[in-house]
Amino acid sequence: MAKVFIYPVNSLILADLVERFGHKPLAVMNQVREKVTNISLDSPPVNITPEDPKVGLRYAAVEVPAGVRGRMSLIGPLIEDAEAAIIVEAPPVNFGCVGCNRTNELMRYLVRSKDIPILELRYPDSEENAPEFVYKIKAFLESLPREEEK
Amino acid sequence: MSEEAGIVKIALVSCGSEYSGVQPEFEAAATEVNAKFVYPEIDVAGLDNIGREFGLEVASGDLRLMMARAKAVVEGTTHVDGVFITTCFRCAEGAIVRNEVRRYIHKHSNIPVISYSFTERTTAGTLLTRLEALTTVARRRHLLAREAQTGLTAGIDSGSTTTKAVVMRDNEIIGSGWVPTTKVLESAEEAYSLALKEAGVPREEIQALGTTGYGRFLIGKHFNAQLIQEEITVNSKGAVYLADCQTGPATVIDIGGMDNKAISVDDGIPGMFTMGGICAGASGRFFEMISKRLGVDITELGALAVKGVQENVTMNSYCIVFGIQSLVNSLAKGAIPEDVAAAACYSVVEQIFEQQLQEVDVKEPLILVGGSSLIEGVPKALGDLLKIDVLVPKNSHLIGAVGAALLASGYVEE
Amino acid sequence: MTDVKQEEITKVIVISSDKVLPVDAAMKIYESEFPVTVKETCFGLIVTGPTEDVLMVTEEIRKLDKNHIFVKDRGFPAGDERRCRASRGGGPRPGFHFLREEVRMLPAIGDALDELEAKGPVKESPTKKDKLKVSELERIIEAELAR
Repeated sequence: MAKVFIYPVNSLILADLVERFGHKPLAVMNQVREKVTNISLDSPPVNITPEDPKVGLRYAAVEVPAGVRGRMSLIGPLIEDAEAAIIVEAPPVNFGCVGCNRTNELMRYLVRSKDIPILELRYPDSEENAPEFVYKIKAFLESLPREEEK
Repeated sequence: MSEEAGIVKIALVSCGSEYSGVQPEFEAAATEVNAKFVYPEIDVAGLDNIGREFGLEVASGDLRLMMARAKAVVEGTTHVDGVFITTCFRCAEGAIVRNEVRRYIHKHSNIPVISYSFTERTTAGTLLTRLEALTTVARRRHLLAREAQTGLTAGIDSGSTTTKAVVMRDNEIIGSGWVPTTKVLESAEEAYSLALKEAGVPREEIQALGTTGYGRFLIGKHFNAQLIQEEITVNSKGAVYLADCQTGPATVIDIGGMDNKAISVDDGIPGMFTMGGICAGASGRFFEMISKRLGVDITELGALAVKGVQENVTMNSYCIVFGIQSLVNSLAKGAIPEDVAAAACYSVVEQIFEQQLQEVDVKEPLILVGGSSLIEGVPKALGDLLKIDVLVPKNSHLIGAVGAALLASGYVEE
Repeated sequence: MTDVKQEEITKVIVISSDKVLPVDAAMKIYESEFPVTVKETCFGLIVTGPTEDVLMVTEEIRKLDKNHIFVKDRGFPAGDERRCRASRGGGPRPGFHFLREEVRMLPAIGDALDELEAKGPVKESPTKKDKLKVSELERIIEAELAR
């Protein structure tokens, strides 16, 4: 089972397909969960505290806006964990966790700079393209090692 | 001060705040002024085209969400009393959207708007004065409609550097006091006593007192003031009152001891405003240091500056330390004090122009107030830079105290 | 703040099925007596509970129509007030917009999964065309102008 980073990081379709075809999606939701269920923090809504943008300095310099670094503090560790990645270009909308395009550019770059299998494809622009979209993802996921090779 | 008219609803139109750790600070500041943030309901289907519709197509979804929320506010889909527009500091895309959304709301509605760019270090305290001003405009328009001072009232402005007090009777200033701020309460006491003495009025006869400035809460409580009000609304009101421009548009620039305010005013009511500046390099503090180094009293600096040519000296007051360095260097190279003083004035107004006037719509008349307005070189430099006449009303340094005394007279009849 | 234990997780189950309605799925969970909290939404369900239970429940639900029921994790527990529009001052939470878009694509994704199961790999469509060469555009412009 490979840990697969998905982009958009909160995609239902990608998270579902990765899991459906036997791998572990590295989704931002799990990171958010860790934050929001941490009862020692009280920094609504997502419990990001002023400390998190500082953690984000690991991924982006101080002149990069706080919102980018705060998001990177959530997403950066996922990229570090990733053993494979699926990047979907031109998703229909991008709000919330993926609402900042500068962060999105940075995270895609960081994924691409890793030496891991990456599938890059476009979000289907019509229903006719959906089968191909699903097929490519399935084929990619099936090409990844099933067992932990350690 | 917020007991009137219940909770004020402020639309939070933001990008990045939830991911910067500052959201709780925003909420805390809002709670403090008895306001609540709301998130305007938007037409989800319309989001895809909002960029086109707005004419500004940006890559980040959350910025498009800001446009959609601004539209909901303007169209009245969500009723709010004010709007707080905020994006991450240092984000160019965010800054463009923040400015355009602010202009859009201002153009299409009468809802007061403030805009701010935050870092992870932004605290509730930083936002408090801004939100207080926003809620005041929303909550107390009736109070701000007052155009003349009535009865016998007083105002105290407890500033970061100096404390000012005035006593007014029937629309006239009959006494004033102006002292350096040392201990907040003692300085207020001193300034107030001076004003009362000059007016020849015993303290008990004052019918209403207003306080403003950094120390407003402390002194307001101490003197049992009827009005405790932040300096944005008070100074706007005071400026248009002193300059006799109470109706129509005006722009107020207040160069204070530690920070500056640029306020776009309409009928005496602040619309857009900015507070701050990058560094104390653009404040009265810088002038104090320049005067000291030139060996002149601060009251003489202005006259010196008017005689000088600013172009002869390169002065960088973007940072107060660099500014002083420029000063030392230029003096070492043989610059004359007149030119240095002129350059210092120009440097301050240049920073105000670059950092603050971009955030408000500058409309004439331009009223310059605050202690630094008395340094003649400052209005001259500002006028030269903006190519417009700068109005410095009489008693411009007493602006906050006069505004407070004027607004406090609203409590005389009550 | 909502009282949540560390080991609890939340899943969003989106039902894009002709055979199963969200209410059917919810009933199935209620009947199963798993100690989970279920919230019905316009797209399907949100299930919160201990990890093992939630995983088992979602597996059960998926089985009802496996190619047309989709699952993802959710950061916030069901009904968390920090994400509730009533307590946070209105407006849908940002993630909602993306979910809505994805849900629109789900029937096609579900059909694709059916098709894959039935027929195997689909043919790849030709890759996207490159932009017109400037020289070619020039030739066309000249030809058009010459008419």
